[in-house]
Amino acid sequence: MATEFHNLQELHHSASLATKVFIQRDYRDGTICKFQTKFPTELDSRIEKSLFEETLKTLNCYYAETEKIGGQSYLEGCLACATAYIIFLCMETPYEKILKKISMYIQEHNEKIYAPRGLLLTDPIERGMRVIEISIFEDSGSTSSSGSSPSSSTAQ
Amino acid sequence: MRRSSAYIPVSTAAALLVTSSTLFFVFTCPWLAVNVSPVFPPCVGIVFLFVMANFIMATFMDAGVFPRANEDEDKDEDFRAPLYKNVEVRGVQVRMKWCASCHFYRPPRCSHCSVCDHCVEDFDHHCPWVNNCIGRRNYRFFFLFLLSLTLHMVGVFSGGLLYVLDHPENLWELHTAVTLVVMSVSALFFIPVLGLSCFHLVLVVRGRTTNEQVTGKFQGGVNPFTRGCCQNVQFVLFSPITPRYTEKLSERLPLHIQPPFHQPESHKLSQTLPIKSLEEVDAPDSKSLTCPPPLPPKPDPVLLKNHLAALEESLLQSRALMLSGHNPLQTSESPTKVLYQVPRDQMGSRISPLVPQEHASEPSLLQPENHANALTLNSRSLSLKHSSRRGSQRAEIPHASQSVLSGRTGSLSYDSLLHPEGVQAAFLPMDPGLSHGCVDVQRLPARNCSPVFMHINREPSPVRYDSLPKPLMSSIQERREPDDKDKPLQDSGIYDTPSRRSLPQDLRGLSLSRGPTPPAYGSREFLLSSAAYGYGSRSHLSSSSSSSLTRAPRTTGSPLHFNRSLSPSFYQSLDRQSQLPPSTLPAPLPTSSYGPQKAPTYIRGGERPEPGL
Repeated sequence: MATEFHNLQELHHSASLATKVFIQRDYRDGTICKFQTKFPTELDSRIEKSLFEETLKTLNCYYAETEKIGGQSYLEGCLACATAYIIFLCMETPYEKILKKISMYIQEHNEKIYAPRGLLLTDPIERGMRVIEISIFEDSGSTSSSGSSPSSSTAQ
Repeated sequence: MRRSSAYIPVSTAAALLVTSSTLFFVFTCPWLAVNVSPVFPPCVGIVFLFVMANFIMATFMDAGVFPRANEDEDKDEDFRAPLYKNVEVRGVQVRMKWCASCHFYRPPRCSHCSVCDHCVEDFDHHCPWVNNCIGRRNYRFFFLFLLSLTLHMVGVFSGGLLYVLDHPENLWELHTAVTLVVMSVSALFFIPVLGLSCFHLVLVVRGRTTNEQVTGKFQGGVNPFTRGCCQNVQFVLFSPITPRYTEKLSERLPLHIQPPFHQPESHKLSQTLPIKSLEEVDAPDSKSLTCPPPLPPKPDPVLLKNHLAALEESLLQSRALMLSGHNPLQTSESPTKVLYQVPRDQMGSRISPLVPQEHASEPSLLQPENHANALTLNSRSLSLKHSSRRGSQRAEIPHASQSVLSGRTGSLSYDSLLHPEGVQAAFLPMDPGLSHGCVDVQRLPARNCSPVFMHINREPSPVRYDSLPKPLMSSIQERREPDDKDKPLQDSGIYDTPSRRSLPQDLRGLSLSRGPTPPAYGSREFLLSSAAYGYGSRSHLSSSSSSSLTRAPRTTGSPLHFNRSLSPSFYQSLDRQSQLPPSTLPAPLPTSSYGPQKAPTYIRGGERPEPGL
């Protein structure tokens, strides 16, 4: 009986959420959107520091691009005024376009880099751009004999 | 859920605007097109469209509302964690307050609106005339609405004046009468609208929000958020519009997370060395993250650790303070001397162990040798505080702070809280730990402590009082009340430490005059707002003692809607102390003579009570 149970456990490797790490915003340069690149200690055993930092730096670059005040933002502002802001109903703002890019970037990295390591990045827009939430999963099938259950985690 | 009375101002404003303008276009513009210029009415029409567009955007656009944080973002019990967290913004220390309603530390410039019950990014104020918060996303629309409305009023008034001057003989004729009415309405609202437009123009140029201006945050200090005059205007008008945070996001592709998980090479190497049994399981080293078996269903301790790590040493230190702060409950009867007022350079790390001395029972026992081992404090502010009040008695470091900082369980001398001096002192050890921890104190200049210390007696929030018995708490409140009055406030020049001295005269007079009597909501809210670091409300504190002191689950509201609705002239008076004619805006706006007797009357009739911090 015990052996059978043990075999079943071996077959059903399942992931369960262990903990979450929150990367906070870096406000040293003001209220611009920028996240701290300090490598959290919890991830030390899960992912290479370089990969993580590269992800964060890329995200920071994207966000810096969204908040850039230049020709495009001037055009957006003037066009919006001229059309009595009806343009907002018709067109996507540049910010939203870059946010979509960021979302795809995060999704892609989750699939290729983080999920295989039992991690999951949550898009900061879901948290009001305050934190980057990193969920850390563990192999619950191998930790405790009492853990029989959840099937492989599906994260969205 | 807003009350229906909240819709009255916005409906009035919209009705007046639309009706007056329509009457102008119908009755006055035909004559103007013929006799003045055919271009005149279309210009007024375009400006009117601009006014309406901005009004609609200001009314309906999300101001930058932060969604509430998930439970797992902060697994700690609310009362365990510090109420404030310091961050450095361009070299200036800014305090982020824990929002009990939204469950996160409010980012800089963010404030919680009590009317709307949410936190707003770059919160300016809650405007009753548009029945919406004005924040990052819609401030430009509000600002442009004001400017364009001013221009529109000028156009309508001048057009009407031209018409009336040309028809002086038949003033009771329909067209003339209607034109006169429209002119009167324009004239009536022109001064307040112009005043508010000028006020916001100054704010935009200086890179401040109404919230920051009214609460006097930068009166004596440096505004870390300003980018220069032109850049500020550019930022307000032409920065990209951020998207809504609270929008329902599109469905993402499901992602399967299936063990076994990859491990970093460095970790694999370290793992292969010691225990062979681990090789059997090709799993991440999650055991190090979890508690020892059995695996807890809710890994609270793990999340606690992660939270600490994520918030760096500051939270770790503060939690250490919290945890050891609980212990002295048993030793509260041993009155110990509270130590503080130490040289600037010396930090908590050099605190000598005082555990054996903590239980000394004589209050007169002084520990002069511990001066060197005390917390670094703003010596100037503290010396002013304590020299004026103590005379010969020396201020000393709280034992608890030292013990806490050194990680031992100390006896916070709660008994010393019974003394008025002790009341102040008791706050001191908790504050730096609570706000940003010892490490930050060590890293940053001593001024760093001053914001926290400055407000000890005004705002008890950094201190955890939930563990104190109620009689003690109430006695603390009572004893703190006289402290607030005669404590000279220093202008430390830090962003979040407006001193009373830095306030405009009339405002100070307002707050002080309300001291003995139950202050009006407006003053209480004003005083206790998360942005108003410089004021404390005594009676209010006594009623909400425990919850106001820690991260209790309590809604903190922005007082700005009260202030905002106190009328534009209120701001102007605060800002420029100018002599303005009484505001003639209709109710619920009060007149400009917002003396203590008037403002409370108004405010009590206003929005629902704000429980405060």
